[in-house]
Amino acid sequence: MNRWKRLAPVTAVVASAAMVLAGCGGSGDDEAADNSKLTVWMMGEGSEAQTAFLDGVEAEFKKKHPDTDVVVQYIPWLEAPKKFQAALAGGEGPDVTELGNTETQGWAAQEALADVTAKFAAWPEGKDILPDLVRNAQLDGKQYGVPWYAGVRALYYRTDWFAEAGVKPPTNWDELVAAAKAVQAKKPGTYGIALPGNSELPFYSFLWGAGGEIAIQQGDTWKSGYTSPQAQQAVKFWTDLVTVHKVAPPAAAGWNEIDARTQFATGKAAMAFAGSWQAGAIKKDNPEIEKVWGTFPIPGPDGKPAPAFAGGSDVALWQDSKKQDLAWDYLTVLLSKQKDKEFASSLGFFPVYSDLVGGGEYANDKIMAAFATSLQNTRLTPLTPKWVEVSRTKTVTQAMNSSVIKGQKTVEQATADAAAEMESILNAK
Amino acid sequence: MTTLTQAPETPAARETPARRRRRVDRLPYLLLLPCLAIIGVLLLWPLGQVVAMSFFRLDNVRQLRGDRDWPWVGLGNYAEILGDPFFRTVLRNTVLFAAANVALTMILGTLVGLLLNRLGKRMATFVASCVMLAWATPALTGTIVWKWLFDDTSGLVTWLFNALPDGLSNALFGRADWTGYGWFNSPLMFFSILTLVVVWHSFPFIAVSVLAGLKSVPSELHEAARVDGAGPWKVFWKITFPLLRPVFGILVVLSTIWDFKVFTQQFVLAGGTQDRPTFMLSIYSYAEAFSPPPKYGLGAAIAVILTLILLVVTGLYVRMVLKQEEDA
Repeated sequence: MNRWKRLAPVTAVVASAAMVLAGCGGSGDDEAADNSKLTVWMMGEGSEAQTAFLDGVEAEFKKKHPDTDVVVQYIPWLEAPKKFQAALAGGEGPDVTELGNTETQGWAAQEALADVTAKFAAWPEGKDILPDLVRNAQLDGKQYGVPWYAGVRALYYRTDWFAEAGVKPPTNWDELVAAAKAVQAKKPGTYGIALPGNSELPFYSFLWGAGGEIAIQQGDTWKSGYTSPQAQQAVKFWTDLVTVHKVAPPAAAGWNEIDARTQFATGKAAMAFAGSWQAGAIKKDNPEIEKVWGTFPIPGPDGKPAPAFAGGSDVALWQDSKKQDLAWDYLTVLLSKQKDKEFASSLGFFPVYSDLVGGGEYANDKIMAAFATSLQNTRLTPLTPKWVEVSRTKTVTQAMNSSVIKGQKTVEQATADAAAEMESILNAK
Repeated sequence: MTTLTQAPETPAARETPARRRRRVDRLPYLLLLPCLAIIGVLLLWPLGQVVAMSFFRLDNVRQLRGDRDWPWVGLGNYAEILGDPFFRTVLRNTVLFAAANVALTMILGTLVGLLLNRLGKRMATFVASCVMLAWATPALTGTIVWKWLFDDTSGLVTWLFNALPDGLSNALFGRADWTGYGWFNSPLMFFSILTLVVVWHSFPFIAVSVLAGLKSVPSELHEAARVDGAGPWKVFWKITFPLLRPVFGILVVLSTIWDFKVFTQQFVLAGGTQDRPTFMLSIYSYAEAFSPPPKYGLGAAIAVILTLILLVVTGLYVRMVLKQEEDA
């Protein structure tokens, strides 16, 4: 591709000319300017609390680097993949970035993120970070991101409706169905449970709870666990909620977690799957709900809480950044135990340090207690950069569940098709 | 139109030295240059890029930057797509959807155009403004509103179906309670709603164009036909349609192009790139190219296939129209 390559310098010249022109109006200190600015990308819309917190982090960071200004840019979650691609293609990116922990491996494979294995190993506080989260930010044994905060999903429920129907928070699958039916009977026009039929993460709790697996690596090849009786049992239970028990509507086949959460917030459903960090959004939809809500861990079939997916955010260094050491210094301030605890509690997430999430810290919080319980037993989706294609592009699991809910396939057909598709993606050369 | 037809006559009509005439001849091309340059940079160059990219294996953003090699795969991307059974689903969706939409848009647009031509001045202005509003609504906003209409709990359509008498609703559809009904659950329902949205968006242009054509048909022809005892159906097919054949030809070609590459409406109604059974070529290309992990080469190849199909379809159609004109 020589012709295209030869054009690259031309583009570079044009781009740099543009930058020189743009820079003319600026301060003009070129060489020393190198460390005068550190660009940090944060996900989301940037609440006031988050901005105040990051100002505090910058103040702390400036004690060591008084001449560096930290510029924080907020990027909406859904925009992030496009923004990352553009930054990577154009060569102008941040120095430090936050990213969802399901995406770290994918971006590491795209060579967007810097390898921080050595830096991470030499950082004492890092040794206390929950090991599942640390592994989730690795690719081929190298560390490409550092966990920042953690979150798990649980079930929110209406305490007032449950009391009216005379049911208690369920602890196994049968009780879950019974409670949903009882409340729905008592409250006509509502759904027993807002099932996000088009989301995968809440479903995995049922899969793992039943003893199923998403996929297992055997040597060089991945084998999907969806054809196992346990996985089929989980798919059957999940889809039966709509098709047999009718405690969620057929439209739920297309609902994502936000759609489902909104049903709960607006008083149309008695239960909904959501993360602890979504409490704020639910309250925003319906401030009154705070008086009548509670949470409980997603139950397993047998009475024990089901394992939950260890979600959350990582912080990574951008591979193209010329200020790796400076960026790492910022990262260690941002992720220090003290700052992490401060930040996580203001957002409704959990800190990533095992010594901070254990203990009785959250036992008396009516919302956070269930999440703290779930956080004791977390699992991960398959650790391969190809997983993102299964999960995001081909949406294999979501399509499997939706097709059963819509009545297009039987559980056996759907699980067999999904397993075959998953294996063909994960084992592609 | 008049200036265009007069332009070539002016230099010939005037007595000018040969030298000057040549300079005048060059002027139109000089005036076209800026336009050509813009089209070249914004259209032809990216088009060339897409075609070039479709011959390489591109799955890393850094390749676009020139940091990494571009491994040549020849027709490998095309072989992969054409060999994938999923491509047949996508192609079938695209062709059926485009055929249905072109037909419906043309029929509805022509009928509204004929209606506008018959209406009095005030009523015509009123109807035309209403129709133009649909056209003026940006595809994105319009589709979001349509999606709300079909919302499963608080949408107007759900409400209307709930308002039907239970007995009637049960007899017709086998259900009385429509709250929570998944309007977008089956591909057929999804495509029906998508067709509604796309036709709603595109028929006003057809209507206005047909109206413009009708205004140029001398009314004596219609009167004469009617005096001879021809009904409206016959008048349309014997008088209006043959006279407006070039207009219809262009409108069909344009509609075909638009309906083959519908993207915005589908992306919004389906809520992104998750609903694969309803994929059509343009969203398929987008999803392959830009959903992580990116596959720019595959996405480019799909885009080229879409372009080729469009060229063939419109080429055949244009030939057919031209041939009919020769025969006529």
